[in-house]
Amino acid sequence: MKTHRIIIDTDPGFDDMVSILLAFASPELELLGICAVAGNVPLEDTARNALRVCELAGRTDVPVFMGCAGPLLRDQVFGKYANSGGLGGDLLPEPALRCAEGHAVDHIVKAARDAAARGETITICAHAPLTNVAMACLMGGEEFVRGVERIIIMGGAFEALGNRVPWAEFNVYADPHAAAVVFASKIPVTLFPLDATFQGLLTPERLDRIRAVSGRVGEVMEKLLKIYDRNDVARYGQEGGPLHDPMVPAFLLRPELFETVPAWVGVETANPESAGHTYCDFFGKLGRKPNCDVVRRVDSDGFFALVTERLAAYGPTQRGETQ
Amino acid sequence: MNVQRIIIDCDPGIDDAVSLLLALASPEVEVLGVTTVCGNIPVDATTRNALTICHLAGRDDIPVYSGAVRPILREPIMAEFSGGSGLGNAVLEAPVRKAEVLHAVDYLVKTLVEAGERGEKITLCAHGPLTNLALMIRHSPAVAKGIERIVLMGGAFRAGGNRTRTAEFNMLADPHAAAIVVSAGIPITMLPLDATYQAMATPERVEKIRAVPGKVAQTVADILTFWDRKDLKRYGSLGGPLHDPLVPAYVIRPDLFTIESTFVEVEWRSELCFGQTVADWYGRTDAAHNVDVVLGVNAEGFFDLLTERLASYGN
Repeated sequence: MKTHRIIIDTDPGFDDMVSILLAFASPELELLGICAVAGNVPLEDTARNALRVCELAGRTDVPVFMGCAGPLLRDQVFGKYANSGGLGGDLLPEPALRCAEGHAVDHIVKAARDAAARGETITICAHAPLTNVAMACLMGGEEFVRGVERIIIMGGAFEALGNRVPWAEFNVYADPHAAAVVFASKIPVTLFPLDATFQGLLTPERLDRIRAVSGRVGEVMEKLLKIYDRNDVARYGQEGGPLHDPMVPAFLLRPELFETVPAWVGVETANPESAGHTYCDFFGKLGRKPNCDVVRRVDSDGFFALVTERLAAYGPTQRGETQ
Repeated sequence: MNVQRIIIDCDPGIDDAVSLLLALASPEVEVLGVTTVCGNIPVDATTRNALTICHLAGRDDIPVYSGAVRPILREPIMAEFSGGSGLGNAVLEAPVRKAEVLHAVDYLVKTLVEAGERGEKITLCAHGPLTNLALMIRHSPAVAKGIERIVLMGGAFRAGGNRTRTAEFNMLADPHAAAIVVSAGIPITMLPLDATYQAMATPERVEKIRAVPGKVAQTVADILTFWDRKDLKRYGSLGGPLHDPLVPAYVIRPDLFTIESTFVEVEWRSELCFGQTVADWYGRTDAAHNVDVVLGVNAEGFFDLLTERLASYGN
């Protein structure tokens, strides 16, 4: 079994939660920490929600670090549901767990440098605006670059255009400068744009299958989806909503579910009317060296089979146990 | 005497070197540490130069922290007038120690947050591109509570740019960082080219420094001779503008300067005006004033101060 040492950088968020739960339930992934950043909701809320997810999963051994409270340069923007705390208000109890000492950026830098010193690497799973990751790239230097095998990012949009605004996907829109820093970092990047995540709709049938096996976790998912209605039949062609972030750890678990192409990706930072817009040179018109592996196709059934199988670890009858 | 505690963020650099020597010889300030940044030359070289200058000053006790290796977003640009080592033609004794292990940004965060928690305030003297300070602000906004003021050399208003038509080098070298710093709500005093062009290290002024006995003054006289731009048309005299030393001089002797408070923004969207500092001199916006811009310099007073302090190093 190939294992990966990972850091999840996140702003939970419903699909961040599912992603963290998927990572927890996967023995191939060793979690070195969860780094919270301002994004969907303010930093205090994303940190609190990350702690809630750890408690929900019974994984209070994984440290949660607080990171950057706002984007590098642009005015701060939040997600559509910022006013309800990002994770269903008081659906999950106030966490008793506290954040670890130290800053998320320093933790990311240290984890990568320590790995590099041992001749190892870490993988960064980025589910949020890239402020923490960009800060780590800017502070970490060459030793940091050597210690990071890959940054897997849910972010950007090409053919899918945008979600929070018509021209941009939220994570890149919320901190376009940070995205530009990461794309220029010379660290290998795998990018899951909306084009890819829109191929993995969490339909009512798929939710039912997860709900049936995953106990309290499935129950929370179902309740959250009642609060955050992701249905947009006009846009997605059927009921259900995209489950963006869990594709990131899924890529480490089952890369064969995803088809990628290497390409040069740019991001608009300057023009306020199109800030956060990402563009991809799919046909090599610019002659630039590719800076991203862009996910183009998703085996949607395979992805949901994986999510369902792994989330069953939270169910009443765990694998390997008898009832 | 009310001693101000300062941290110097710099990219030495000839005029940074003079600036460090001025600060280290001034009892009005206590230099807590020196942080270095990619600027005039790469950060490995600015760090080494900072250590070299501390050694020249006999201050190997001042911790030096190496910082950002590159600007936030733009590609690095290097200065034109620093000589191969960044210290002109000076031949200086090699430093006897290395920089601290801690990153400059982590040092700034730790020192300033702890100071803020104790109700104390530290003055930041910034001589280079503002990358370290911007990263510090985004890393931990709580640093603001521990900062008395940022006194920075940078920007150009009526003077126009030096490295491009519109921008001064430190702003141009990292306009995104500069924009973060000036909009952070921290008190700022800015010494733009408009001010530093008033502080020309003319041959006469350099000779007064050369007349001072001691290795430090001789070294400064040598590197200032190298610094001479020989551009009468532009500066109205021989010599080079002594930008950075005005920063500690302002902290030590604010009475030598006149300021005007205004609203300043740094342009980072435009190609033509990349790194330009734009002030609202005539109240065309409703924005609150965020910067005290130094517009007048008592040049004789400044050079007297510098010469006197360099003399204090003795033989």
